[in-house]
Amino acid sequence: MISCDEFLAEFGDFLSNRVSPEVREQLNLHLSQCRTCQVLYDSTLKTLKIVTDSRSFDLPSDVSEEIVDRVMAKIRSARAEKA
Amino acid sequence: MSFFREVDLGGDLGIFAMYREKLGYVPRTIQAQTLMPRLIEAQAKLENAILFEERALRRTLKERIFLVVAASRGDSPGVVAHYKVLRGLGVSEAEINRLLTDYRQASLRPAEISLIEFCLKLSHWGPWVQPSDWTKLREAGFDEDSIHEAVLVTGMVSYLSALAAGLGVAPEFEMQGIPNTKSIPPPPKNPLYSHPIREKVSYLHSVYQSPRTFPPFELIQRTHGYIPNFFRAQTSRADLIGAEAEAIVGILYPEDVLNRKHKEYILLVVSAANLNSYCVAVHCNLLRGMGISPEEGDQIALDYREANLPAADRALIEFCLKIAQRPLEVCRNDVDTMRAHGFSEEQVLECVASTALNNFANTVQLGLGIEPDFEPPRAFEKNKLYLVPGEARPTGERFAASFAAVAAEDPDAGLVRDAQGGNLDAFESLVRNHNRRVYRTLMAILGDVEEAKDALQDVFLSAFKHLAAFQGRSRFSTWLLSIARNTAVQRLRDRKNFESLDEGGDPDEEFRPRQLRAWQDDPEQQYSSSETRQLVEKSIMQLPAKYRVVLMLRDLEQLPTEVVAEDLGMSVPAVKARLLRGRLMLRETLTPHFAASTGKAAL
Repeated sequence: MISCDEFLAEFGDFLSNRVSPEVREQLNLHLSQCRTCQVLYDSTLKTLKIVTDSRSFDLPSDVSEEIVDRVMAKIRSARAEKA
Repeated sequence: MSFFREVDLGGDLGIFAMYREKLGYVPRTIQAQTLMPRLIEAQAKLENAILFEERALRRTLKERIFLVVAASRGDSPGVVAHYKVLRGLGVSEAEINRLLTDYRQASLRPAEISLIEFCLKLSHWGPWVQPSDWTKLREAGFDEDSIHEAVLVTGMVSYLSALAAGLGVAPEFEMQGIPNTKSIPPPPKNPLYSHPIREKVSYLHSVYQSPRTFPPFELIQRTHGYIPNFFRAQTSRADLIGAEAEAIVGILYPEDVLNRKHKEYILLVVSAANLNSYCVAVHCNLLRGMGISPEEGDQIALDYREANLPAADRALIEFCLKIAQRPLEVCRNDVDTMRAHGFSEEQVLECVASTALNNFANTVQLGLGIEPDFEPPRAFEKNKLYLVPGEARPTGERFAASFAAVAAEDPDAGLVRDAQGGNLDAFESLVRNHNRRVYRTLMAILGDVEEAKDALQDVFLSAFKHLAAFQGRSRFSTWLLSIARNTAVQRLRDRKNFESLDEGGDPDEEFRPRQLRAWQDDPEQQYSSSETRQLVEKSIMQLPAKYRVVLMLRDLEQLPTEVVAEDLGMSVPAVKARLLRGRLMLRETLTPHFAASTGKAAL
């Protein structure tokens, strides 16, 4: 069976579902027998879900509108000056 | 003897002894490279693993394949040398002559004729090779290892024939009495094969090998930063992967003669000429890691003449293309031209070896149907493994059309056109559509809300100012994000404690997960959504900037890895490595809050 270090080396591609069948087979085998990596795998998946669902750093609508207005005001006034 | 000065290497190299034992003499292609012994070592390792070792195919069959394919390429030095080898192996002159004039009349079994025909197709019409070719050979009784080896031998012909041409070596022996034929097989009837992106790595069955316990993978991981499918596909032959990896490391990695960028130009352009989009994607990616933008990479691959390259670089590319595509026309004049452009004799020699090795890799990839590691560049046909052939390929004026195709796929194309025509409402829509993503990018790099808001305005004002210069060679969003990135990085540099985003060695390479407590089944239930959001934002902001940027673009902005790499001007493997590190670090920070045994922790 592959070691935990070897599991970790392929972990990124495994999460993105980008490993070839023979690698996936080895990783699944390791997962079925290694409690530590199971925990790692499970908590990383949960981390990703939490991050994605959190909508972190979303620009609040009012701030977004304010910035659009400010940018466009500058552009329009620059154009008016030119004309 | 050749275009290059020969040097007495003193004493007898082990390599010379190997050639004397296997061939009875030291070939001129070897002698012509004595200026640079590392090139000789690289070549000798490949030749030994592929041609001299008896593996799946008998040596006499491999030599027959070599002879017929070399003859079809007009490689006289190759033909003469392997004529001699076959004689030494006890094959009669009459039989060898039959192989050269018409191999179908030689004493070969029908299956062996099929194998030779496959190799001829691969050598001349490589992008047309498809799974059914493998099926036919399997039905004829060849196992995978044998077909694999036939592909390798064909690859070796591509290597050695380019080498003989570029080095300008004369045949080792008199050509008298040896039929001088050059019969190129007719074009295949089937259309250029469009590989679907498959689950399997190649036509071969591969086995899992670990970069920690399999020495060739350890070497490749260290030098490439990842294990390309090119190697993963060939795991059934450990000795071969070792030789291939050492050849690549020996020829392409040293920077004492030509620099890496020059070599990557060669590999990119020659792979494009050989219609090999697998290798084009690889080298576009590597160039990106060296600071060449994706558009420039695409441009060089599709038509280097239109690229903004110095005259010397252009001469270098043209020299290598000639070796790969019109080897029989290469003459001393070409070497003199290179010298006139300021290249040293060693540098020209390294051009020849790099082109030869690239030919080998292109042939092997096409013969084994190896899946790409990355999406091919966008200017190429979508979901196709290979470039469109020869004259259909856009060059010069037609080149612009291929970028027009990219632009046509851009959902913002219409608004951009209107905005460029002076329509401010169209520009306002672009600002509205993209301000969230731009904000996240700025936030990712700057890590400060007020500064990110401030920079957001600058980005759009700058985009408006330069809108006329946007030519649609990338998507509008990519262009806009590159402005955002430059704006943010500039602001970062202006700070006192500048945190670098650049690629390079990660000192904390040996990152190990420390928090190993299991998480709750439904961790999100623990906190309100605004609490979770606060916690996530705080934790992300604690990450070093280089991991934070990648993680935010990939996991919050949900951009594909390839797009993140493009937007940040990084290679795909570098993005993947940082993404994993960022995710694992974030997991560490979040574990105390979501572990099964913990109650709700203070935020």
